[in-house]
Amino acid sequence: MKLKNSLLNQYLLIILFAIMIVPISFLGISILFFNYLPTDVEPSKYQNGTDLEAMWHEEAQSLAGASDDQINEKLTEIKKEYSEASMFWVDETGQTRERLPESLSVPPSWSPALTIDYMKKNRGLEVDPFTVVALIGKKKDEGFMILQVPRSAMLSAGQSLQERYSYAIILAVVAVLAIFIFISWIFFYKIRKRLLRLQQAMSSPAESGIPDTISVEKRDEIGQLEVSFNEMIHQLEISRVREKEEEMLRRQLIANLSHDLRTPLTTIRGHAFSLKKEALSDKGKESLDLIDNKIGYLGQLIENLLSYTLLTTGKYPYYPERTDMVRLVKTSFAAWYPVFEGAGFQMEVEFPETTFYWEVDPQRVERVLDNFYQNIYRHARNGAYIGVKIDAHLQEIFIEDHGPGMGGESIEKGAGIGLSIVSLMLKDMKLKWETETGEHGTMIKIRKRS
Amino acid sequence: MRRILYIEDDLEIGSWVQEDLEQRGYNVQWLKTGEGAEKAVINSDLVILDVMLPGLDGFTVGQRLKKEAPYVPILMLSARTAVDDKLHGLQFADDYVTKPFHPDELAARIEVLLRRSGLSVSNEIRLGHICVNLSENTIVDQRNGEEIILTGKQYQIFMHFIKHPNQILTKEQIYESVWGEQYMEGDKTLMVHIRYLREKIEKNPGSPEIIETIRGIGYRVKQ
Repeated sequence: MKLKNSLLNQYLLIILFAIMIVPISFLGISILFFNYLPTDVEPSKYQNGTDLEAMWHEEAQSLAGASDDQINEKLTEIKKEYSEASMFWVDETGQTRERLPESLSVPPSWSPALTIDYMKKNRGLEVDPFTVVALIGKKKDEGFMILQVPRSAMLSAGQSLQERYSYAIILAVVAVLAIFIFISWIFFYKIRKRLLRLQQAMSSPAESGIPDTISVEKRDEIGQLEVSFNEMIHQLEISRVREKEEEMLRRQLIANLSHDLRTPLTTIRGHAFSLKKEALSDKGKESLDLIDNKIGYLGQLIENLLSYTLLTTGKYPYYPERTDMVRLVKTSFAAWYPVFEGAGFQMEVEFPETTFYWEVDPQRVERVLDNFYQNIYRHARNGAYIGVKIDAHLQEIFIEDHGPGMGGESIEKGAGIGLSIVSLMLKDMKLKWETETGEHGTMIKIRKRS
Repeated sequence: MRRILYIEDDLEIGSWVQEDLEQRGYNVQWLKTGEGAEKAVINSDLVILDVMLPGLDGFTVGQRLKKEAPYVPILMLSARTAVDDKLHGLQFADDYVTKPFHPDELAARIEVLLRRSGLSVSNEIRLGHICVNLSENTIVDQRNGEEIILTGKQYQIFMHFIKHPNQILTKEQIYESVWGEQYMEGDKTLMVHIRYLREKIEKNPGSPEIIETIRGIGYRVKQ
């Protein structure tokens, strides 16, 4: 996996970098140090105590059997080379001889006790000045010589630099830490921003109800998530289109079926009508009336069947609006009035002056009422009564007839599908219908589903 | 002679309807498709349009015809399910008949539409003792031959009844089409106007014969 394609690897790299920064910077500073910084400073000759000690002992050895003047000369010579150091020598009698520099304060004569005390005081790694005592010659009877170097002169260039720059090292460590935290923060801030963008894209659907796709800028894990998201949106859109196509096809099928069934019915009705104009016996005319009646009934049945199919598949149009119910019932009954009047029905209506409003689809309510009226017209004709009443206070609509009741025998059956349509439609509009039916009539009540 | 443009692709239904309408005294021009309908509509008084046509469907044809001749009423004939068509078709169509229709019903609807556009077969309508002349816009009491003069609103109400014969009109419907405003609950204006109208045209305003009251629903003028 390429680095830019993996957030995990990117962050591992950041951590690795943070861990490695200490040794790497150490190495870097060392290289810097030895190659560039103190190029002008020679390694100091005082730096190494061991070297000094070896040198001092060697010189002392070489002075075996030398005269006092020779020793003095040698010390002066050494002093010239090691100007920072102070030195003196003591002869075999314990007298302090040549002192370099002259001002050096040392006891003029050395008793064994004093010597031992001096040796004790100037021992150890930390004692300042650094002191080397060497016996002159090999026989240990020619006296001894002492070299003293102040510790400050013995510091290496690196050590002195370290002292000078120690605050800078602390600063650098803090800076490295801060940079690490900052880089981590940026890293996670960017991830967070991209996740939020994705979340926002998911939760804000476009007009179609499906969120829009988003642009993919990087190919890492989040980028892959975005690609998958876009893929999902694409799938959703495809299925939405397919669903629409199927719905179209179904509607088309139903429309065509309706057309194919009704067209021949129209032709039959036309011919029956033409036939009626011919000279016919009364029985012949009666038959034609029956044909005509059945054609009307069949047309209604086709309509109901198709409506039922649309309703059960949720494809029946539904446009609810705030509807004046008294007005709607009144208007719909006005259209049926002449039909019942023609059939000799006694009609009773009670519409209140004050109305009430329901959130319903008026087309559907009309259809429901039509179905009830139709049933009464067809099945309750022998009762010859229809009552339509509204209780505005209780918000209830009553339709009453004096027919043989819903359990009763009727000449024309097939009311079942019509009532199924009524139930389905009312259910969608959060309404329901109750019925009290008996041998002497039926009372239908439409009200809100509680 | 009233000229009807009839667009129908089904040959059996087409020839039967054409014959029936011609027997009823209309001049029928029958087209099998929507082609050429835009030209023919100019010389027609009414269009009967089938929804399912080969090529351009009835809705498209109807919309084009309305654009070409907005004053020619269109009656849609449909054999499809009423659910779809009603939503679709009634936006431009003036009326709508579902197959299988009865020829008498079709003829009645045609007559209503023609009357609404002032092109009825007969220019005179007799309602009991009064005679309404639609071309001269006069109402004559036939008992004495005197003309009945109505006020503007009374005339509008009366004509609304004439254009919707045998139909029960609720007071909301009448008020809203005559005044062009939303009917307010409990408004008595319309009832007052109808009382004055009845005093002018009824023999006995106490028991009206022309403008019938349908108790609890509205009014009706039978023809």
